[in-house]
Amino acid sequence: MLAFGLVLIPWIGLGLFLLPKGWVKAGAVVLAGVEVLLFARALLAPMPSSLAVVNWNWIPSLGVHFHLSLDGLALFLVGLASVVTLAAVLASPNKQGPAYYFWILLAESTAIGVFTALDLVAFYVFWEVVLVPVFFLLGGWAAGPARRTALKWLIMNLFGSLFMLIGVVAMGVVHAQETGHLTFQLASLAHTTLVPQVAPWVFLSFLVAFIIKAPLWPLHGWMPPAYSDAPAPVTAVISGVLSKLGVFAMVRVLVPLFHAEMAQAEPWLMALAAVGLVYGAELALRQKDVKMVAAYGSLSHMAMMALGIFTLTQAGLVGATFYMVAHGVMLGGLFLLLGWYEERTGSRALTMLGGLNQSVPKLTAWFQIFALATLGLPGLAGFAGEYMIFQGLIQNNITVAAVAGVILVLAAWYMLRLFQGAMQGPRATGRSPADLTTAQVGLIGALGLLVVVLGIWPAGVTSHLPVLAPPATHALAHASHRKGGEPA
Amino acid sequence: MTLLVEILALPLLGAVTLGSFKSVLPRPLAGIWASLLVLGAFLLSWAAKDRLALLPAAHRVITGSLWVWTQGFGPAIHWALYLDPMASIWTLIITGVGFLIHVYSNGYMAEDRDRARFFAELNLFIFSMLLLVLAGNLLVLLIGWALVGLSSYLLIGFWFGRPSAVRAAKKAFVVNTLGDVGMLVALVLLYARFGTLSYTGLFGALAHSAPAPMFYTWVALLLYLGAMAKSAQFPLHIWLADAMEGPTPVSALIHAATMVTAGVYLIARLYPLLALAPGVGEAIAVIGAGTALFAATVAVFQKDIKRALAYSTVSQLGYMFLAVGIGAYVAGVFHFMMHAFFKALLFLAAGSVIHALAGEQDMGAMGGLYRKMPWTAAGFLAATLAISGIPGFSGYFSKEAILGQALNTGHPWLWAVGAFTAGLTAFYMFRVFFLTFLGKPRDQHLYEHAHEAPWVMTGPVVVLAVLSVIGGYFGTGLNTWLTPTFTRYAGAAHFALEAGPVWATAVAVGLALVGIAGAYRLYLVRSMSVDSGTERAPGRWAAASWGSDTAWAWTTTLPLMALGDWLTGVERGFVGSLAGVGRGVLAWADELRPIETGLVRRYLLSVMVGSVVLLAYFLVRF
Repeated sequence: MLAFGLVLIPWIGLGLFLLPKGWVKAGAVVLAGVEVLLFARALLAPMPSSLAVVNWNWIPSLGVHFHLSLDGLALFLVGLASVVTLAAVLASPNKQGPAYYFWILLAESTAIGVFTALDLVAFYVFWEVVLVPVFFLLGGWAAGPARRTALKWLIMNLFGSLFMLIGVVAMGVVHAQETGHLTFQLASLAHTTLVPQVAPWVFLSFLVAFIIKAPLWPLHGWMPPAYSDAPAPVTAVISGVLSKLGVFAMVRVLVPLFHAEMAQAEPWLMALAAVGLVYGAELALRQKDVKMVAAYGSLSHMAMMALGIFTLTQAGLVGATFYMVAHGVMLGGLFLLLGWYEERTGSRALTMLGGLNQSVPKLTAWFQIFALATLGLPGLAGFAGEYMIFQGLIQNNITVAAVAGVILVLAAWYMLRLFQGAMQGPRATGRSPADLTTAQVGLIGALGLLVVVLGIWPAGVTSHLPVLAPPATHALAHASHRKGGEPA
Repeated sequence: MTLLVEILALPLLGAVTLGSFKSVLPRPLAGIWASLLVLGAFLLSWAAKDRLALLPAAHRVITGSLWVWTQGFGPAIHWALYLDPMASIWTLIITGVGFLIHVYSNGYMAEDRDRARFFAELNLFIFSMLLLVLAGNLLVLLIGWALVGLSSYLLIGFWFGRPSAVRAAKKAFVVNTLGDVGMLVALVLLYARFGTLSYTGLFGALAHSAPAPMFYTWVALLLYLGAMAKSAQFPLHIWLADAMEGPTPVSALIHAATMVTAGVYLIARLYPLLALAPGVGEAIAVIGAGTALFAATVAVFQKDIKRALAYSTVSQLGYMFLAVGIGAYVAGVFHFMMHAFFKALLFLAAGSVIHALAGEQDMGAMGGLYRKMPWTAAGFLAATLAISGIPGFSGYFSKEAILGQALNTGHPWLWAVGAFTAGLTAFYMFRVFFLTFLGKPRDQHLYEHAHEAPWVMTGPVVVLAVLSVIGGYFGTGLNTWLTPTFTRYAGAAHFALEAGPVWATAVAVGLALVGIAGAYRLYLVRSMSVDSGTERAPGRWAAASWGSDTAWAWTTTLPLMALGDWLTGVERGFVGSLAGVGRGVLAWADELRPIETGLVRRYLLSVMVGSVVLLAYFLVRF
């Protein structure tokens, strides 16, 4: 029930169109705030499954269920979606109209739908509907060639989803043939074995869709213009929350349904992620636009999550899931900061040593903290995820672990280049922009606090996660030592 | 356990309060508040040492865990703390020398408008370094390890208006990240094998685990990579000289007395592991001796007083690694202690000189300063005698212990390199002393305005001078105190202090005297200038650290940047080709315009229709 409420409430945002102009943002803040409160309720008190789950017979003739569950895997991604959306709404300018806020809330709703869906058709529907709000946000509010940016997002993702649709249908049909019972429930489909001639293609149809949505190299074409030209709060939502859909789907759908295929294709998957890791980091190192550094850095970090998942070990999967949450908060905060930076300088150009440090000490301090978190400073959120991913990698592929290690060094390099280039150096002449307002400090401070808490207490998240590794590899890992960790 | 938390809490409290309220605090208060907190941490460390001493020798460990760091894929990893005799030595030096340097900074940074930020970062450093040595498992150690790197980065770049300081800070951070990554990989390897990272769990498991020399060698080498980066061992020494861009008290505290010795701590802490990794100890010792000699040759040709001291630190760290590499752990810790006294003193005295000369660091503009600054000169002389290994002074005892044990354990070549370096050390240190404090003033204007430092700065100098003179007499007590640490687990057979043969001591001291005489002759009698010898080939190369920066640039940074540029081109072509596809689709969409339903609605509708059709098809077939 709670999961359904979380999906439903943002739709009340339609009511924003009825509010007088001055009240629109306040209305959006209330709705986004209620989402955070609902998440807090789910987090703090144990829930009977009647509260956490809805499972309605949606299209009985096709065996489709509207099955949403706020389980251990979904819980913190739902939390991420609600927190980052609230931050984005708060950071948005007051002048924005109801449409802008409605689309942001709708993006939140659909993302939560994807995170909580346990029926493949319901999952697919939410997956598709996500395209709509982002399409309108990019088309309506992005700088530069907005129409092209929005279309690129739509066309690439539709291309992926079409393949996935075939995969969804194929899964259901094969299952029906095997059992005589048409269903799209993930739990049932997990026991379906596809014939070897078909299996790789069905697997691939899902994989391509997930890679595009994340995005991962080499299907990231929509990302650079979308991340750099969208208004900062929108980029925060896309990079912080929506980019997690692709990697989350790998944990939710690929691992239970296709672990055999994944294990088979492992060298290729690892190579794909490893190339993406290097590619993103190397590009981040040479960008001359502040948002592009963060964008390509994110491309590299998404590959890090993918690596964790492809290990198929409990440590790698837990690490990747944790890293999704951590990365979402860090990148959401980082893009908000970059937006404030752009507001103050009127430019995104990364001139070496921009010299803003003296005039905006608060912005500098928070920028520094988020840059450090993103580059993986031990003690902050990013490192905890990386540690667990490495724990998985080392059991699986030492060579790739070595490549990933080099990337951590590059990450330090490009993030410091970004921070120092934007903020430090001799005082810029003729510019003395205003520092962050108290409200902005409060907002980024709250996200910063999350980054610290996640960094020193990752167990707060990981102890809620269920066993994610497929049975075969799971047995090899430290399953026998596992304590606690049942879904909330 | 509560005591350990309190030791950590005080400097953390300082960092947080000063960091949060840096703009509202009255300026003098920031320094006093920060210094008092470190003094408190020192007193608590002393109390912790006393509490350890009350325990029977075999059980001198205080350990416990605060909360679970992570779990969900194996045994939980905790926030664990651990205090044993060795850790307690480190806490005393960190907070003791740290307190003196905090006091000194009240004078040194008096005119800086960012004083509160300075003290916040200095307190953050003390907290991080204490976390590193009080860690109860390798994960907490790594977090402390990274946080000292962070404080070092923040303080090197303290004057962020200077491009050179900003660059130096980034360089230090990136080089240290390389080491951190090595440690991270070692940690996950250890966890994958033993399911724990705690010292007690790990060392207990090592005692009865199947031999796996390759595995242990790799793990030890990866951990040593971290030590190399943090402690500026060749070839990862490149960041330390540039780190002198930070304010001088920072150089004294972080880049001389404490942080850079973290690598020595790590290796000494991991002796049970090292004992199982054949060849790694030898490698550490050889690289240590090589680093000692290498850095000494570079120090001889430096013009900048702080850079000369920086290379001297690299060289002395080489000695410490030589010690722990051959298993002479107490000698290594002993030298760390003595070095903390005399090198902090050298930097503080140099800082007083720089302060008096309005920021001048070039020894070419100094000379004759003892007349203006007698206390500082006396302090610097005491430290110079100590580092040169003159009998009776602190450095003599620890250096002789290292060199003697090199001979006793059958490493005559390491001894020879160490003894030769000792002579070189005496030469370059007295060169610095003569050029700075004796002879004729070379810049009359600066000289006339020079003045002795205020008492907040000379006070710590005097205290450290006393310690640099008498420190050597702590040796025997240190040996007894550290014995429980190194007998707790197997693997440290020759940990205790040993004396070498008398002839060896005579040779080393003789070489040091020759070095002093040489410096006297060249720089006082013949009044050679500071840059003599650097015009021509070998000297010029040596002054530039034998080209190590250039080598790193050509082999690493430049290729990585070139790869980035090439990939940027690839990406542009890729996005371009995609744009072509997009244009094609748009053209196609324009042709369909007559249908005129908004693009998106049509796409979404076709998705729906398509899915229904597909479903229907399969259903019919089914």
